[in-house]
Amino acid sequence: MRDVIVFVEHSGGQTRKVTFELAAEARRLADALGGKAHAVVAGSGAAALAQQLQNHPLDKIHYTDDPDVDKYLLDPFVDYLEAVAKMTGPSVVLVPNTMLGRDIAGRIAARLNAGLASDVTELRVENGRVQCVAPKLQGSTITTCAFKAGDYGVITVRPNAFSAAPKSMGAEVLSIEKPPGKSYKMAVESDVEEASGELGLEEAPVVVSGGRGLGGPQPFETLLKPLADALGGAVGASRAAADAGWVPYSLQIGQTGKIVSPQLYLAVGISGAIQHKVGMQTAGTIVAINRDGTVPIGETADLLVVGDLFQIVPALTALVQKAKAAHA
Amino acid sequence: MKAPALKIVVTVKLVPDPNAVRRIDPATKRLVRTGVDTALNPFDEYAIEAALQLKERLGPETTVTIFTMARESMKESLRKALAMGADDAVMLSDPALEGSDVSLTSYAMAQALKKVGFDVILSGALSDDGNTGGVPGALAEYLGVPGLTNVRKIEEIGDGRIKAQRETDTGYQVVTGPLPALVTVTMAVGEPRYASLKGIMGAKKKTIEILSAADAGIDRPLGSDGAKMEVVAIAAPKSREKARVVEAADGASGAQAIFDFLRERKLV
Repeated sequence: MRDVIVFVEHSGGQTRKVTFELAAEARRLADALGGKAHAVVAGSGAAALAQQLQNHPLDKIHYTDDPDVDKYLLDPFVDYLEAVAKMTGPSVVLVPNTMLGRDIAGRIAARLNAGLASDVTELRVENGRVQCVAPKLQGSTITTCAFKAGDYGVITVRPNAFSAAPKSMGAEVLSIEKPPGKSYKMAVESDVEEASGELGLEEAPVVVSGGRGLGGPQPFETLLKPLADALGGAVGASRAAADAGWVPYSLQIGQTGKIVSPQLYLAVGISGAIQHKVGMQTAGTIVAINRDGTVPIGETADLLVVGDLFQIVPALTALVQKAKAAHA
Repeated sequence: MKAPALKIVVTVKLVPDPNAVRRIDPATKRLVRTGVDTALNPFDEYAIEAALQLKERLGPETTVTIFTMARESMKESLRKALAMGADDAVMLSDPALEGSDVSLTSYAMAQALKKVGFDVILSGALSDDGNTGGVPGALAEYLGVPGLTNVRKIEEIGDGRIKAQRETDTGYQVVTGPLPALVTVTMAVGEPRYASLKGIMGAKKKTIEILSAADAGIDRPLGSDGAKMEVVAIAAPKSREKARVVEAADGASGAQAIFDFLRERKLV
């Protein structure tokens, strides 16, 4: 196990930010293992994305713009990733812990007969073995797992757990040949956008999240969105809000939704049950606004402001906007 | 026209009761599963719900089989799924399988599921304890069937085809493909139903078949010998200090308190 391979997730011609975090971590691991850092980028626009990735500390960037990658579900991604992994020999495959990444990870682990470590927040190399640190059991326990030496290992990495470190190292850009004898079956007929602009929820530096206290769908648009925009962040929601149909499930944060780790998490009208806590407890700073001072979110938050969110949020948005304008 | 019957298998994981305190044994570094009540993984209840909805749609000749890999002592925890309306259950149960990691678990389950037979496998998208989410993908690979993940609605199924809506980060995709296939469902399929009294009574008579590793034709090293990963350390997380609590008299003072705090932490 020497080389490290990064699966590049991208959408709408943009590389997801987590990819750059993975590239920095791949460099560090590859140096510790005495191997090379690779990236695999597949799908529409891959050639251009491969060029952009040259600004990150990688040795080899493998790309394919095979149209099958976008026409069929998952399998083409896995085939190309497997092709590169087989070329490098036993290696570490880094995949973002996102909806797509989780789907890819289980499959590539089976293909490579590899171990799988999930939702990893810290990586180490000890005696030539890669160790993965990850919170388990609703964040109540931190486990460290090690791969057996000489095998492949697949790791899903939590977005925002690592920092990107852009640096050009003159990485080679290589086209990957289509693996022979592949035919695909699960066809994507259409792709419909519902919550545009929320792609980066797991990667956003700031998340403004709303819960039952918002009372309906409108305040997400009229209160939370302007505050999130002012802070340069994204809007999230508690399960109660998603269950009520106020927001799509894609915005839900918590054990049954997305796990986020932003620098700042603002919980607005969210009581903060354990289910929700699992999804945000590793945020850098947590601020809660609630009309009840005894809610469980107080156990997790750094600051709990007890008051009327319908008055506090617009006033806060105005303060942030004013500070930004003064700064600009 | 009568809809064709399907053999549906729902894979479930039995997890320590989500309401109970969970801990890891420091010696074995495995989750303590004895002396703790076992429950169906809450995500998998949505898969059972989706399966029962299909059975209602396609007619009584469509069958729903619950499948799990667990200790035989956990057998009775499957009755809830049978009470909800599943027809029968199969358990892959062998002491030698304990300590299996994601790869080995998926491989073992695939071997057993090949014996059980299926047109479609339904499962929840994540588990409540390990939270890896890797098993369905690996399972599809070992079974050699296409995987359709994060499905929120099955639009059409039958005649060897499936058409479904799957959630993505930004919305949804409509995907079509052949059966047999493995489908993972999200919570959007609908709240799992409660078992009726009749269902609970009926479940007592339903069969739960036990398969051993040998029955399933598993021929790899098992348990921790076959696992590709080992847990080397466990620790408690860093605890956060309790929140500073500020009572806001009005919107302006509440907003100012937050703004000052963010300034202090250099977040604005």
